[in-house]
Amino acid sequence: MDAVYSIISAGVLSQVFVGLSRTTILFIVASGLTLILGVLRIPNVAHGSLYMIGAFTAFTVTKLSGGGSAGFWIALVIAPLIVALISLIAERGMFQFLYEREHLMLLLLTFAFSLVFGDLVKLVWGGEYKSVPVPHIFQGFVPLFGGLPFPLYNLFLLLAGPVVAILLYLLTNKTKMGKIARAAAVDREMVGAVGINVSRVFATVFVIGCYLAGLGGVLVAPTVSVTLGMDHNLIIEAFLIVIMGGLGNIWGALLGALIFGLTQSLGILIWPKFGIIFPYLAVVVVLLFRPTGLLKSTW
Amino acid sequence: MKKSVLLSMSLLLFVGLFMVCPLTYAQNTIKVGIVDTYTGPATTFTMDVLDGFKLAVNEINAKGGVLGKKIEYTTRDEKFKPDIGLAMAKELVLKEKVDILMGTINSATALAISDFAKKEKLPFFVTFSKSEKIIGEKGHPYIFNMNENTAMVGKAAAVALAKKPYIKYWIAGDDYEYGHAIANSLWNNLKKLKPQVQKAGESWWKVGEADFTPYITQILAAKPDFIIAATGGAGMVNFQKAAKATGLSQKIPFYQHTAIELSVLKPQGQNAPEGVFGTANYFFYYPDTPSNRAFVDEFKRAYNREPRIGALSGYMTARFIAAGYKKAGKIDTEGLIKALEGMSLDSPVGPMAIRGCDHQLELPMYFGVTTKNPKYDFLVAGDVQVIQAKDYMPTCDEVLRVRK
Repeated sequence: MDAVYSIISAGVLSQVFVGLSRTTILFIVASGLTLILGVLRIPNVAHGSLYMIGAFTAFTVTKLSGGGSAGFWIALVIAPLIVALISLIAERGMFQFLYEREHLMLLLLTFAFSLVFGDLVKLVWGGEYKSVPVPHIFQGFVPLFGGLPFPLYNLFLLLAGPVVAILLYLLTNKTKMGKIARAAAVDREMVGAVGINVSRVFATVFVIGCYLAGLGGVLVAPTVSVTLGMDHNLIIEAFLIVIMGGLGNIWGALLGALIFGLTQSLGILIWPKFGIIFPYLAVVVVLLFRPTGLLKSTW
Repeated sequence: MKKSVLLSMSLLLFVGLFMVCPLTYAQNTIKVGIVDTYTGPATTFTMDVLDGFKLAVNEINAKGGVLGKKIEYTTRDEKFKPDIGLAMAKELVLKEKVDILMGTINSATALAISDFAKKEKLPFFVTFSKSEKIIGEKGHPYIFNMNENTAMVGKAAAVALAKKPYIKYWIAGDDYEYGHAIANSLWNNLKKLKPQVQKAGESWWKVGEADFTPYITQILAAKPDFIIAATGGAGMVNFQKAAKATGLSQKIPFYQHTAIELSVLKPQGQNAPEGVFGTANYFFYYPDTPSNRAFVDEFKRAYNREPRIGALSGYMTARFIAAGYKKAGKIDTEGLIKALEGMSLDSPVGPMAIRGCDHQLELPMYFGVTTKNPKYDFLVAGDVQVIQAKDYMPTCDEVLRVRK
């Protein structure tokens, strides 16, 4: 019986860690989404597609650099930049003319982009499954808690999450651009009146947000098969996290991602067949008690 | 613009659209309407079916077609949604007036279209749906199943696993009909062939689950001899990746249908787990016969990739349609059905027949294990055992008994 208990608690601890590694991906993507939502007031439905493009680009970069481990690290640097470039073109080409429009318009525009991107990915990469290999130093597992295996790559994700969170915090709170962006989120007219080029601020924030989406895509690629349809799965989760955490609030995105990731992984332990409902239940509960999100939103 | 001008222009446009739209192909062609999923992860399989079909159709048309008529086809994307699929099928039959319906990878859509085809008395060739209900309880004379179904897979795997020394089994898989059907068929047949086997437990995860670590730790803790992993298309690669990352593939052997198939192994390159057992109905490298090699070369020349099982299904569907009409002597549904029952054609992997009683294509099934091969930069099936159709197909009695 003791063995069962020790396995149960080892399993629970292991599950918590698995949930936390999932949180990393969710947080990175959601933080980008919330940044764009908070500052630009654009609900970027195409965020999921950019995440998918990030994953597919990582595949191509890895393949072009010979398929070895170095490929993954190169992809980690390049792929999000490519996604950022695509988003810059979209922003300068279309979005910048539409900031004054109502949100529904912007939502529809980003939705249209998500459809276009989805089909572009199919055109460029085809329908076959793709796979990005786990880099050599992260292959294998470490026997944590009671000998249960925990993949090394998940450990990497666990550590990458807080790193990105800290970098984002420094970016938004300690840099001039960050402070201007936060001001623009609250009152863009005032920022413009003070003489700052609001359009350029918006472009920067949009590109950074989309860079994060691409980064999430690259990081998730070694753990799943890179397929069409990745965008739809993720965008719903990302939006729910953003809403749970408070629109525009990066710490809210972290909190939301934590709740989502942990309820997802622990839910599987409690009720394997219906484990998937737990994160959504959590969203319902949070919104019942705090309709505007857990933390302060910028709207 | 003046109202009258606007009105007349739009009327003109309206009429023009009707004239330009392909109303009816001349009666001098055989029309095949293909409903399938061309969006999302399933596309990898359905493009194979279409390309294999096109390859055969081009061959047949180049030789003058069937009874002097060329085969024409048109596709509709159902986006993996049965209601859209059924609507597309109806449009194909009622508006495009197709002679034959073909498709789809979605079993629910296949069943819906099958029902419609039965009412319209139109032949429907199922190319990638694996539900046993298609020719089982919901079967009827107008349906032809050109790929394997879950009952057959389970029995074939059971035949192979019964010869192995494993006793304690863990059953896991995607929590939907496909997963449960394969697992049930496998387990029931295995128990019949080898009564000593025991079930140590079961775990089922949602379709599209990306994180298997919790389930894998649960299974490792139970220490079974063998795992039956009834994963579906998209889950195959994810499960194999997770099995490798957690070390499961080195600790406990497991089986998945199509684990040894190109679509699962090629994307992973040299990183796919070794020692995974699986069943599949086609390899481009086995059997290494002249006819298989010729097919592979032709396919590669046309589409720049190796053919997989979907390609074989699509290819043989076109071949059977052509041969069936030819034998019937006219483009007639009842004639086609009668001609096809029991007809055997030469395929890239040997002679293949459509069983008369239930219209199931008799495919060979291969059981093997994932192995590295210096000739390819991906893993292939090793230790291949061939399980003949007659050894793993349910009997005519068993099939017809459940039909309503």
